[in-house]
Amino acid sequence: MSGTEFLRRGTLALVALFTLPISLVAQSATVTGRVRSETGSALAGVTVSIAGLGVGSVSGTDGLYSFTVPATRVNGQAVALQARRVGLAPQNVSILLAAGTITHDFVMSATALQLDQVIVVGAGISQVRERVGSVINTVDSTAVQRATQPQNLLSALSATAANVRVNTQSGEPGASAFVIIRGATSVTGTNQPLIVVDNQPIDNTTVSTNGGDGSTVTQNRAADINPNDVESIQVLKGAAASAIYGARAANGVILITTKHGANGPTRYSITSTQSFDDVLKTAPLQQQYGQGSNGHAGACATADCNATSLSWGPLLAEGTPVFAHGDEIYHTGLTSDNHVNVSGGSPRTSFFLSGGLTDQLGVMRGGNNRYDRSTVRLSASHQLLNTLTFGGNFSFIDAAGAYVQKGSNISGLLLGALRTPPEFNNQPYLDPISGLQRSYRFPHPTSASLTSPRGYDNPFFVLASNGNRSELGRFVGNLTANWVPTSWLSLNETFGADDYNDSRVEALPFTSSGDPVGDVTRYQITNLEIDHNLTATLSHAFTSNVDARLVLGQNLNSRRNRQVYVFGEGLIAPEPLALQNTVSFTPNETRSLRHISAYFGQAELDLHDQLHVTAGVRDDGFSTFGASDRTALYPKVDASWTFTNLFHPDGQPRFGWLSRGRLRAAYGETGREPPVYATITALSTNGLFGSGFGDIIGAKQNGQGGVISGLNLGNADLKPERDREAEFGTDLGFFGQRSDLGLTYYSKRSVDVILPVPVNAAATGASTALANGATITNKGVEAEFNLRPYTSSRVDVSLGANYARNIGRVESLLQGVQFISYNTEGFVGSGGSSTVGFAPGVIRGLDFVRCGLGERVTLPGVGTLANVDSACGAGAAKGALYISGTNNRPVVNPDERVIADPNPRWTSGLTGQVRVGPLQFSTLFDIRHGGQVWDGTRSALDRFGTAAETRVRSEQGIFGQNVLAGDKVAGPGARKVAFSSLADWQDWYTTDGGSAGDAQAQFVEDGSFVKWRELSILYTLDQRWVQSRFGLSSATVRVAGRNLHTWTKYKGLDPETNVGGAEFLTQGFDFFQNPQTRSFVVAVTLNR
Amino acid sequence: MRPIRVAGLLGAAALAAACNSDGFLTGGELSHDPNRPTEATSAQLLVGIQANLWATLQSDPARITGMWAQQLLGANNQYVAIYNYGVSEQITNGFHAGLYTGGGLVDLRRLEAQTSAAHDSVFHGIALVTEALLMGTAADLFGDLTYSHALTGEQNPPLDPQLAVYDSVQSILSRAIVELGGTGPTNAGPASSDFAYGGDPAAWTRLAHTLKARFLMHTAEVRPAVYADVSSEAAKGIVDASQNFNAVFSGNASEQNFWYQFDVVQRAGYLAPNPQFVELLRTRADPRLGTYFNADQSDLNAALVSAGGTQPLVTANDNLLRWAEANQRTGKDAAARTRLNQARALAGLPPESDTLAGENLLAEILIEAYIADFMSIEAWNLYKRTCTPNLASVVAGVKIPARFPYDASERNTNINIPPLSQQPARNANDPPNSTSDATGAACLGQ
Repeated sequence: MSGTEFLRRGTLALVALFTLPISLVAQSATVTGRVRSETGSALAGVTVSIAGLGVGSVSGTDGLYSFTVPATRVNGQAVALQARRVGLAPQNVSILLAAGTITHDFVMSATALQLDQVIVVGAGISQVRERVGSVINTVDSTAVQRATQPQNLLSALSATAANVRVNTQSGEPGASAFVIIRGATSVTGTNQPLIVVDNQPIDNTTVSTNGGDGSTVTQNRAADINPNDVESIQVLKGAAASAIYGARAANGVILITTKHGANGPTRYSITSTQSFDDVLKTAPLQQQYGQGSNGHAGACATADCNATSLSWGPLLAEGTPVFAHGDEIYHTGLTSDNHVNVSGGSPRTSFFLSGGLTDQLGVMRGGNNRYDRSTVRLSASHQLLNTLTFGGNFSFIDAAGAYVQKGSNISGLLLGALRTPPEFNNQPYLDPISGLQRSYRFPHPTSASLTSPRGYDNPFFVLASNGNRSELGRFVGNLTANWVPTSWLSLNETFGADDYNDSRVEALPFTSSGDPVGDVTRYQITNLEIDHNLTATLSHAFTSNVDARLVLGQNLNSRRNRQVYVFGEGLIAPEPLALQNTVSFTPNETRSLRHISAYFGQAELDLHDQLHVTAGVRDDGFSTFGASDRTALYPKVDASWTFTNLFHPDGQPRFGWLSRGRLRAAYGETGREPPVYATITALSTNGLFGSGFGDIIGAKQNGQGGVISGLNLGNADLKPERDREAEFGTDLGFFGQRSDLGLTYYSKRSVDVILPVPVNAAATGASTALANGATITNKGVEAEFNLRPYTSSRVDVSLGANYARNIGRVESLLQGVQFISYNTEGFVGSGGSSTVGFAPGVIRGLDFVRCGLGERVTLPGVGTLANVDSACGAGAAKGALYISGTNNRPVVNPDERVIADPNPRWTSGLTGQVRVGPLQFSTLFDIRHGGQVWDGTRSALDRFGTAAETRVRSEQGIFGQNVLAGDKVAGPGARKVAFSSLADWQDWYTTDGGSAGDAQAQFVEDGSFVKWRELSILYTLDQRWVQSRFGLSSATVRVAGRNLHTWTKYKGLDPETNVGGAEFLTQGFDFFQNPQTRSFVVAVTLNR
Repeated sequence: MRPIRVAGLLGAAALAAACNSDGFLTGGELSHDPNRPTEATSAQLLVGIQANLWATLQSDPARITGMWAQQLLGANNQYVAIYNYGVSEQITNGFHAGLYTGGGLVDLRRLEAQTSAAHDSVFHGIALVTEALLMGTAADLFGDLTYSHALTGEQNPPLDPQLAVYDSVQSILSRAIVELGGTGPTNAGPASSDFAYGGDPAAWTRLAHTLKARFLMHTAEVRPAVYADVSSEAAKGIVDASQNFNAVFSGNASEQNFWYQFDVVQRAGYLAPNPQFVELLRTRADPRLGTYFNADQSDLNAALVSAGGTQPLVTANDNLLRWAEANQRTGKDAAARTRLNQARALAGLPPESDTLAGENLLAEILIEAYIADFMSIEAWNLYKRTCTPNLASVVAGVKIPARFPYDASERNTNINIPPLSQQPARNANDPPNSTSDATGAACLGQ
């Protein structure tokens, strides 16, 4: 058939469709009916089709479906009518296809065994869970909307699936979420999973403007997706599940399916959600002692004077007004979410149109703490021919945010707020006479102090700055075509584009401590990803007991990234905070382009409806691979055996409690591409020369540009990192539909892990090169359990639990290299690292000398390299602090080691749902056991004397009792008085006992928590009067509380947050970032 | 309708795309980093090379040797430790590797290849002189160095003995002098990208001879026969301040004098004038007391350390005094006196009496050179070689450091570099002096 003829037929079909609908119907068969759940409610989005004929339709919100079979194909034959929806058990019935109307209603089980659910397994392929030999978790849309931070789709995955660990940076609007699936496998990357929306990969990078430990929060880009558009989320955890995504899948894949329209009358749905947010806890501060040092007052009263930073002053006189510096910066935030959906369709055409407005006003005062997102989305499809359907998904996102400087940053909010002495009033934050910023360290600014630092910025000055903003425009869209030329062949094409422009400004006004002369950073990121994915699916039933399916596919992908960063330093006028108003500029431009050309194939065999075997391979070609081998193969194989079918092939349970059972095993390989351009050795235009003391000149001199060789050597042999993972498990159903249990063990070995290798400068002219060298393993178990103890038409009770454990270990780095710091956060005394023998992303630092570890350390009063254990004395507890006899204090051990592992020992999520008629209650608990946090905030506040625990300063100090009270002690100074005056306490906390001290291990705490994430009550009104009085099909009202309570021993604000964002491998740093928030939520939905 | 044929066609199209996939993965921005250049003009390379050279000659190495030669004092933080001979791999970390990395030998070799290919022998000669200055100074600081095997890519490249490095430097300078004499039409030279001499071959030839004299002199302790060659080379070298080889700073951001950046902006208070040196200048009534230091001798003279201040790297005084020393040591006292007085005149001092001769003349030449080489590594080189002035160690029982440790990064990647504890205290060219050349008294600090 020629192309012209192909087109002509298409046009004819269109004409026929629009001009002759009656005649078409008159000669053909119409299949129609209603799809309901077991409880009788209408089910939308169910695909009802006759597979062999390639015809079908999707049910609408009223559950109605209808489609027409052309007369030429109607001859009274028996055909299989199939109903499928992701998340539900598929159904097959046989109908006789004759002219006229055929009605068949389906009742689909929404609480079926998870095994029967249809799931998306990647590259546009869907499959019944039972036939997949690896674990794929499904999160449905209602769970997403009920989540703690529903505005960020990835935060919403928190506690929903085993070994899918989510760390949201903070409760601020626009904060990023860090997702790690089955442990980190790379030391250079951030280990974030690939995000695929409707078969199209989208960008999910997190890039902070000026360094993630300071600066402001930033989004992970998948947070742009409107969660209300999401139908379901599947998490591909293991390498076997995600091998079809090859060298992009080493961190797992999150597959997102969005909502689509359905045949039937046009439906409208409006949802309005108001959420009132506040902070759960504020930092514990002392209110008794004032600014000063050694008990002497330290405020200053003269113009432009500098006062001490410390609150080690005198006991405040009775009646001295004090201020709650941890509370006064917060108020109640308000998040307003409004969404409209319109959907509908005819038998051949369907559409889903949605609009959403999310306005988040955060909990920090001042109005410069917000993130607003508007989205519109159209999903439509049209069946052009009986065998050919075209469709498309188009969404546009417009987001804008304003942020507050945070974290490790002397212009950050909490850093200045929590260090302020209790009696200093931070209001007004502008001096009434000069109109310039006043702070506790610089309380009397005159007009001469416009470019003088303030020590630390006044928190209200920080809150008032509108200099930190971002604007984003993003288009994500695709075109799809599905062609079923014969009953055994179908072709699917998805061609998509993800294009965004993220435009940011981050500015410090005059008098900012971080840069008193003021500065403006402009940062513009544009990113375009185009993806073509073509699959051909061939199915064949060899005998009634042997089915086979072969999927062949091609994937072409292009990612183009452009970044322009300009730092303008030195404001000219106070306003505007714009580049042209600065004295000097430092520009930096980064561009990259990456292509992928991949082919994949997957064969599935189904024997006796019992044994399902899938084998597949992806041949990945990446432009980022070294020229010596530009392709890599990623094989997979998995098998699933439903052993219970062996005993009762009719599907009826024969013996008691075990109604269903299967065993599964899978092996797969995935990879991670090298950083872009890491294979290239090139020159540099921004060389710098000088010493570590800041005397630096550039390669550009006297107005002439200089070019030098780069310090990093390209490695033309760089290969992708490779994960090899085997997993085994079982899924068991008990007592019919009442209960199910899934158990999984996996073992993953990551080889060829890329790390920076020092090279000999004399031999190569460079300092470092990236090389494939390290090996990392992750092993773990996962369990998921669901129980539905009682189900009736009026009452439903369901309970769920998941448990996960992952043990990660860096097996080797390079020969002789014990640890590296790369893509990690770090502070003096507590730096992120990957260390041999530990999971990636542990924190290194120093500790005090401890007993029972067989160490030899120089001990004052004892000698050099003294035997610590004998100095501790007999009977000293292992790990007890050695207390020196010279000053009755502990001694810093100069040997650096791992002081904190932020990775939890195990995690768990507990859910409960009870439905009584129109009322539905649900709740969620999130449990994290283990996972250490370095409480750098407390470390600093101890030093400055504002921490609540420094109140002990009037007492005598004894280690193990009221100093480092959690520790056992031993040695000659044990249980002796170390401090007897306020000056002694100050001396301790401003040296070894605080942030100036080397031994930061004393601030490492257990970050275990139980968080009551959610309690919600939903009331559904669908009585007749709702329809007659208001013209609505139904309405729901939901009242919910989120993050209601946290049970933790952690002393700081929140063990869950991290000062840096999702861009870092290491987590577990608490340094003046904001906590998570608690919310009270009211939501109303009207459906028509 | 034949759907299978259409499917076949689509399949064929996909396969066709497959065959062409290499084209999809290479070329343009896929294979070439758009953020970094892969080629540079010779002028652009020279600009970066000069910046690196200035850092090597003027940043930490000059400040630390200035402290060890007791012209300066470490008054604060890490500089107290370094002044008190706290020699660790950290103190030079970067300057050893920096000899070879961007702006160093790797780019000198690139520049030499480019200028050679362009038949620009003048530019080629300038590159060779620069290489000689960089690597000769490196030999002064570190001793044995990877040089003949440098940039070969081989694992664990061997180190050349220090004297072999000096010999290589001499041969490179000889080649440079020949190249600089080239007169072909392609000898465009670096023109304005040469910040010291504007591409003047005569000036570079003078510098080459000066450096020949300097690095020959550094071997004189073990090769006393070189004095005659030092004289003959110095005679063809820099003899007037207008011929000095200088670092030139615009004073703009990232283009500022190292001494200014360290002493005024970044680390004020770390360095102070050394009382020993102040006293020397005061007793000699040397007017440089006022040019080197501020009025109360508490800091460097602000006029000397300004953002855009020109920094002399190789000077006429330095060359004249070396010439004078070589003359004196070969028995030509009259000629030596002439050179000494020439140097004194440049420093604003009256001529010495004609009666000054013999050991007294030598002592005067050496002290004059020590004063003239302030802010240059040469003051420390002079002290190591001659024990002049006869400095006492500032830490009882510890000798004044006579070499720099290798970078830890270089040691970790080359088994031929021993751990710091096994590295020599002094270099082969520089055995400890038993007496001070100037006073004849026992050498205190070596």
